[in-house]
Amino acid sequence: MVSVSELKHKFFAFSKSSHGRGEASPRRTAISFAVLSIMMLGAVGLYYYSRTFSKIRYLTDRPIPIPIAEGAIQEVLARATPHLIGMIACAFVLAAVSLSFQTITQSRVLTPSMVGFDSVFIGAQTLIVFFLGARHVLFANPFINYALSAGIMVVVSMLMFGAIMRSHRNNIVFLLMFGLVLSSIVMSSSTYLRLLMTEGDFFQLMARTSVNVNNMNVTIVWITLPIMIGVCAATLFRHRRYNVMVLGSEQAKGLGIHYERELRMNLILIAIGMSAVTALIGPLTFLGLLAVNAAREVFKTYKHLPLFIGSAMMSAVVLIAGQGAMEMIMGAVPVTVFIDVVGCAYVFYLVLKENRI
Amino acid sequence: MIEVKNITQSYGKNVDILKDINFTVRENCVTALVGANGAGKSTLLSVIANLIPARSGEVLIDGKAVAKIKTADVAKKVAFLKQSQHFDIRIPVKDVVEFGRFPHCGGRMKDADNKKVSDALEYMDLKYIAHKYIDEISGGQRQRAFIAMILAQDTPYIFLDEPLNNLDMKYSVEMMKIVKKLVTDLGKTIVVVLHDINFASAYADHIIAMKDGKIHKEGSPAEIVNSEILNPVFGHEFNIVERDGKRVCLYFN
Repeated sequence: MVSVSELKHKFFAFSKSSHGRGEASPRRTAISFAVLSIMMLGAVGLYYYSRTFSKIRYLTDRPIPIPIAEGAIQEVLARATPHLIGMIACAFVLAAVSLSFQTITQSRVLTPSMVGFDSVFIGAQTLIVFFLGARHVLFANPFINYALSAGIMVVVSMLMFGAIMRSHRNNIVFLLMFGLVLSSIVMSSSTYLRLLMTEGDFFQLMARTSVNVNNMNVTIVWITLPIMIGVCAATLFRHRRYNVMVLGSEQAKGLGIHYERELRMNLILIAIGMSAVTALIGPLTFLGLLAVNAAREVFKTYKHLPLFIGSAMMSAVVLIAGQGAMEMIMGAVPVTVFIDVVGCAYVFYLVLKENRI
Repeated sequence: MIEVKNITQSYGKNVDILKDINFTVRENCVTALVGANGAGKSTLLSVIANLIPARSGEVLIDGKAVAKIKTADVAKKVAFLKQSQHFDIRIPVKDVVEFGRFPHCGGRMKDADNKKVSDALEYMDLKYIAHKYIDEISGGQRQRAFIAMILAQDTPYIFLDEPLNNLDMKYSVEMMKIVKKLVTDLGKTIVVVLHDINFASAYADHIIAMKDGKIHKEGSPAEIVNSEILNPVFGHEFNIVERDGKRVCLYFN
């Protein structure tokens, strides 16, 4: 006679093995990377195509074709390139900081945007314009402005670090509450301050803070690019430490990780990375989350090196191919809208599945 | 040698967890920390391993204050295993053991590191499940995997915080036998926090009984396991019997 618990046990043992829960074999990992590389090339091709030839066809495939000026294609291609580079860099940074954030908070559902990192950027811009005016050098000069907002974000993340440390552990509920309160205060007070501004200041501010993938702040691509490469490299080189930190703060400390310093270092990296992304393409809450979890599903490992590279590539593919497709189909709708819809649904799924945050 | 000098620790302003603790860890011994819940056993262990800074006082490892030694260097002297881990992240047993080499190689495994890992797996009889994931194996096997990790860490001192939690008697006894073996075979010095006084009585060489953040009494099991000492430590009436040369506390009164 077989007892119910035995049956249950057998059933679960079976369902575990049938889902192929083992780590992806080196061969499978290599194939996944190859496929991702091809997809990335395809995405880049699609994006260039949508920016140039699909628009040319739109103009020429009509009873009376609209003539294309000579050199127009090269001109458009040259303008699309900084956009493309900006998108790739943002996608990489979002994936990297989301993964490291998930490791330090030991959660698969959180990303830095969810704790209000990007609202700080908007709040900082609003405060600068409100008190100093849009003509002040701190706002008008894009480089100084970027440096200032990145600095403010680092300071805020340090305050957050202090709050986490006071509670003696990675208290995720506390972190989420902090982010929720922070972003609602910042957003509502920014809205209020905007009402008090002059018209000119208001429009300048809106131009700076309503950036998205369609409407990228191209001026600062070249200054944020080295910063974003730096953030990605710094997280990538720490991959062995993240592996140990998967064991939890106390065990990681026991294995010689200076946990507080790692935490602080990571929050600074996240703040710098998020400031660059938010300044370039605005808030993008769910891309990092989607990419990191997709990479976990594909590579089935806790090791951070393949996860970093895989999630960076996935996030770039989604962003670039999605944006290319959107430009072809819908014109002005940024792909981020769709990414957020899908990502939001995925978060619901994750929270329900794992039954925790 | 590890010396603990005038350690105090408190949570918040008024709650003193440890009050002026002084002792020297006995070399090549299993030292058991026993006491009631909240007596400060686990906190003391964490302070000695430098996981929590002490409010005042100092811990000396080979004459050097632990707070002044780099975290990675402390991890070459003291291995610490905490039991309240919940693992939902899937890691193969072999990789868990490799983590033990992290203080030495920073995650870049060399031949010498692989040798230590392989020895640790062999010693803990884990070779046959080295590729399995820690969430697929039994509680006892998982515990052995983590012991193998701290063996690979290759430290003279090993601190175990309630290693018998969530283990049934069979695995608990197996675990304590392993702990004894580490001392006799490999010359380790082990400090272990135990909830069950009978395990301390049966397997420890030295017992430190803690009460209200202070060391109430320390000594050999023969000296400590009697009702005059244990009754106040646990705030409970003990009936102690001797059988086959070992003292057993009956506390189901």
